[in-house]
Amino acid sequence: MGYRPAPDFDRPDAQSVQRSRRMATWLIPLIVVQQGTVIFGQHSDRLTQLLATIAWITVSLAMLWILLGLPMRWLSERDQAIVNDERSKSVGRDAAAWGMAALILIASAMMIARLFVPLDPGIAIYGLVNSALIVAILRYGWLNRAEPGEDE
Amino acid sequence: MNDRLANRLKERRAELGLTQSELADLCTVSRKTINTVENGVFVPSTLLALKLASALGLSVEELFWIEH
Repeated sequence: MGYRPAPDFDRPDAQSVQRSRRMATWLIPLIVVQQGTVIFGQHSDRLTQLLATIAWITVSLAMLWILLGLPMRWLSERDQAIVNDERSKSVGRDAAAWGMAALILIASAMMIARLFVPLDPGIAIYGLVNSALIVAILRYGWLNRAEPGEDE
Repeated sequence: MNDRLANRLKERRAELGLTQSELADLCTVSRKTINTVENGVFVPSTLLALKLASALGLSVEELFWIEH
């Protein structure tokens, strides 16, 4: 009796990772906004807030993973090189710069706003961090949008 | 100064009958990278320029030049 070799059809490759990464960059901001409403919702109990916070941390780490182009050990070495090639890293750097710029601008706006409107520290931190991350991830998504067909 | 890196990647690729995907495979990069280099959107590193030139059987200077 021999073991059947593992099927290849469901193994992720560079192209499938690029496709899902492309999709995730547009979906993640929506998830972050939805989680924000749960974390700071007036009717959310302590457990719901805890679960939403864990979910938010997970999504934020996924964003960092995408932006920093961290290695994906489940891919072959060749597929990893393709997924994180030099253009992809350059796009990540560009997006990170946009995120940093957004962080500075939004923080400045908040510092001015707090003179006129009372700001809740939790909401302010959540808004600041996520606005910067969302700007970075949207920039990443835009630069990494689907390429035209062959020879276009 | 408005210097721009021009290239004859597309012409050479067509001469050799290679698709963007095949060239990308030869250089271990994504097709998007080949596409953006061809269209002048992304400026490749020296390493990638050398890989592209080698895959297309040309020198880097024959493949890329500066357009003023």
